[in-house]
Amino acid sequence: MEKATVVVIGGGATGLGILRDLSMRGVKALLVEKNDLVNGASSRYHGLLHSGGRYAVKDQEAARECIIENQIMRKIGKSCVEPCGGMFTRLDIDDESYEELWVKGCADSGIEATPITLDEAFKLEPRLSRKHVKSAYLVPDAAVDGFRMSWQLVDSSKRYGGQVKTYTEVIGFDTVSGELRGVKVRDHFTGEEYEIGCDIAVNAAGGWAGFVGKIAGVEIGVQPDKGTLIAFNQRIVNHVVNRLHKSSDGDIFVPHGSITILGTSSMSVPDPEDTSTSREEVESLLKIGEQTFEDLRDFRILRTFAGSRPLYIPPGGAVGRSASRGFAIVDHERDGLKGFFTIVGGKFTTYRLMAEKMCNQICAKLGNKTPCRTAEEPLVEEVPQADKDRAKKFFPSYGVNLAATRLGVERFKKVVERLEAEPESRELVCECENVTRAEVEEICKDDTSFIVNDVRRRTRIGMGTCQGNFCALRAAAIFSDLGVEPSAKNSLERLKEFLQGRWKGIRPVLLGRTLRETEMTRAIYELSMNVTGGEPQ
Amino acid sequence: MSDKTQAIFTGDRCLSCTSCMANCPVMAAIKDYRGPKLVGPAHGRMHFSQEDVEATLEFCSNCKSCDRACPSGVAVSTLNMLKRAEFYKTHPHTQAEDMIAHGERAGKMVRKIPFGATFANIGMSIGKALNIFDKLGLAGERNMPAYASDPFKEFFPRIKQTAADKKVVLFTGCYINDNEPHVGEAFVKVMNANGYEVLIDKEFNCCGSPLVVTGYLDEAKQHADNNAARILEWKKKNIPVVTPCTSCSLMLKEEYHELFGEEKFHEAAQNVFDAFEFLEILQERGEFNDNLKPINQKFLYHVPCHLKSQAIGLPAANILEEAGAKVQTADAGCCGISGNYGFRKDKYEISMKIGAKLFERVKKKDFDKVISDCGTCRMQIHHGSGIKPCHPIEILAAAYG
Repeated sequence: MEKATVVVIGGGATGLGILRDLSMRGVKALLVEKNDLVNGASSRYHGLLHSGGRYAVKDQEAARECIIENQIMRKIGKSCVEPCGGMFTRLDIDDESYEELWVKGCADSGIEATPITLDEAFKLEPRLSRKHVKSAYLVPDAAVDGFRMSWQLVDSSKRYGGQVKTYTEVIGFDTVSGELRGVKVRDHFTGEEYEIGCDIAVNAAGGWAGFVGKIAGVEIGVQPDKGTLIAFNQRIVNHVVNRLHKSSDGDIFVPHGSITILGTSSMSVPDPEDTSTSREEVESLLKIGEQTFEDLRDFRILRTFAGSRPLYIPPGGAVGRSASRGFAIVDHERDGLKGFFTIVGGKFTTYRLMAEKMCNQICAKLGNKTPCRTAEEPLVEEVPQADKDRAKKFFPSYGVNLAATRLGVERFKKVVERLEAEPESRELVCECENVTRAEVEEICKDDTSFIVNDVRRRTRIGMGTCQGNFCALRAAAIFSDLGVEPSAKNSLERLKEFLQGRWKGIRPVLLGRTLRETEMTRAIYELSMNVTGGEPQ
Repeated sequence: MSDKTQAIFTGDRCLSCTSCMANCPVMAAIKDYRGPKLVGPAHGRMHFSQEDVEATLEFCSNCKSCDRACPSGVAVSTLNMLKRAEFYKTHPHTQAEDMIAHGERAGKMVRKIPFGATFANIGMSIGKALNIFDKLGLAGERNMPAYASDPFKEFFPRIKQTAADKKVVLFTGCYINDNEPHVGEAFVKVMNANGYEVLIDKEFNCCGSPLVVTGYLDEAKQHADNNAARILEWKKKNIPVVTPCTSCSLMLKEEYHELFGEEKFHEAAQNVFDAFEFLEILQERGEFNDNLKPINQKFLYHVPCHLKSQAIGLPAANILEEAGAKVQTADAGCCGISGNYGFRKDKYEISMKIGAKLFERVKKKDFDKVISDCGTCRMQIHHGSGIKPCHPIEILAAAYG
């Protein structure tokens, strides 16, 4: 039987943070995730590394945590954080007295909020509404790439012996007289069921934490709270642009690599698997968004997506926007299950702090006295400038830095070698996001790539302007050649699966240029390959 | 959005459909060019990631085939020109680039010297013989356009015109002014025959096309400001500005605005007409003078890219056909020279490869004369086929007797 000291359940930011922390403290840890990494709220979100400004009035403890963690992430996460900075703008329709409260809240929480003139604001963000914006402040918000961060956490954990199993679902717990002995799991692809022995299991399943608790026979107050977001085709903003008012829907724009994300809504849903989005949600987000950016509707929408915040609801607690963004750690020994913990709630920005607190408790149980070092050590080494300079000769322009931060030192080196040796591998698989064949090949043959979507999340193929129109076919072909799973050979199925994934986010925004784009996709795949999207459901 | 036709706002419309790449004559000639979609709108999304230079941006000839192919209205080539201008902010121009961008300046210098044109032409022949152009980075295979003994603007007051109430201002452009004043003369004759008196405005600058394609955007902006101001002055007097040069008219009508995005360029554009576009309007109004000798000739018409980009059809062909001519379009794509592009040493071969289909067509010689509205197209056809074309306005002028 496979064994680990600690099994971490859930491959989101929290779970991966715990895996890294434990591994760095010398605890043998293994993470299981039923899907691919960051399938939940850790990628279905804004990609915002909060300065804490958002919480400066309502929850100053959260605000202080945010600004501290923000500074730590900027230091340790140079390859996944884009320090674009943030701006808070108050509009004419917003409560003026809130601005005073907010300025004071920021000062009290240790968040530097620098007032700027409107002229400066319009210079920094030319598309802001001249009509509505009345005041503006700069704050140290940043953008963070959840996909990139997750793989960097894995890379970091692996250096210390941490292990990850994706597409591995928890189906039961092995206990002997109230004491945990192991976790039963099922392999998503083979259907094989087996047990992983352990002393401790941590339920870090986010929105799914309640389900995992149920399997273990304990009740956990988690309320999935769905947030819908819109991805635009371009960078509309240079900074994270927040509305300076009481936190509400659709009031944050984040420049996220080549795109801009606007969100979110907030809606309690029974099932965290519900990542559906609707035309109505999109319309309501646009209506709010265009108060800050009048010309918002002129910009091409790529797609929409949704994820569920795992809000922790203590017995009798509030839900939705009024629910606390704080987190809770539960030691289920109190429920009669020794060795089982749950960590729930919190937010992406403070994932590291949550992991640290969780690991402190685990280590206390294990008698491990090694201090937490996750705030000091960078997640991954940066790719040396010399390697990047060498790579420039073979990479498409504007592509080196992005590929370097996606791939990390070792894989980047391999990709550059491939580009150097095989000129044909320099061609682009994804023309919108500038992804070379060499990079796609490198990721396709990775043993964590089970479907083309796994390759997408790590390379950004299919995530740009054409939403897979041109790269789906190419990627499925390469994947069928190099993918380690036998199912990779079924290239037509893999292709359809990939296109369906893209289609899901496009459907609610099927208007204007997005509709034109989709008609082209339909024409290409239906007419040339008889790929029609299957039977109507 | 303040202005949706400004090029920088059009990149977002790209659907990545690749029509531009399929229609790019440069890509067809040289595989090193990454192509309009990638270099223009696709890279436009990625510029945030790092300071970088797309090395193959230099291949774009600004022929605008991509813009015409685009089903979504992306000003692809202008995006390329804007990026090219950025490149030259941090990279010096070569001497050759300085030369081919500043034809207007060279023309003025030549005119300051007595018999300057003669000396300059002799100098250019000697230069070519001694391979000096080649050493400078110019296409040594080509003849540099020879200077006319008198530039059109000097020669113009000597043309006898009958004063008329109806007036147009001729925007000569550099090529007609310095090298082919007889085209300007033909234009005056045609306009006079149609009851218009032709005026000249010496305050006009070079339209700026050669500056834009060579990355001198700030200078081009000065030209644009000046020319637009002049055009608007004439507009106030209800006098249209007309030009027989299709690259000039495209610049004045569309590119100023795409590049710089000010409302005044839109307003100015409404008062600018291509010569045959203007004549066609007269024809539609029943004001065209059709009292001309029947033109019993057969023409092969090379339609310049920059005329196609104006989306005004083929007014020259229509007018000549009305007068009895047989006009067949060459239908052989871009001639390859694209302004000063083909004058660069390192672009000469590409330019000739692009033009090859057209040269073959011309060499069939199943016509009496080749016509084309664009001066550099005419030079390229002459160079590539040995057959000298003329401007269609010359044919019309001759028919007015």
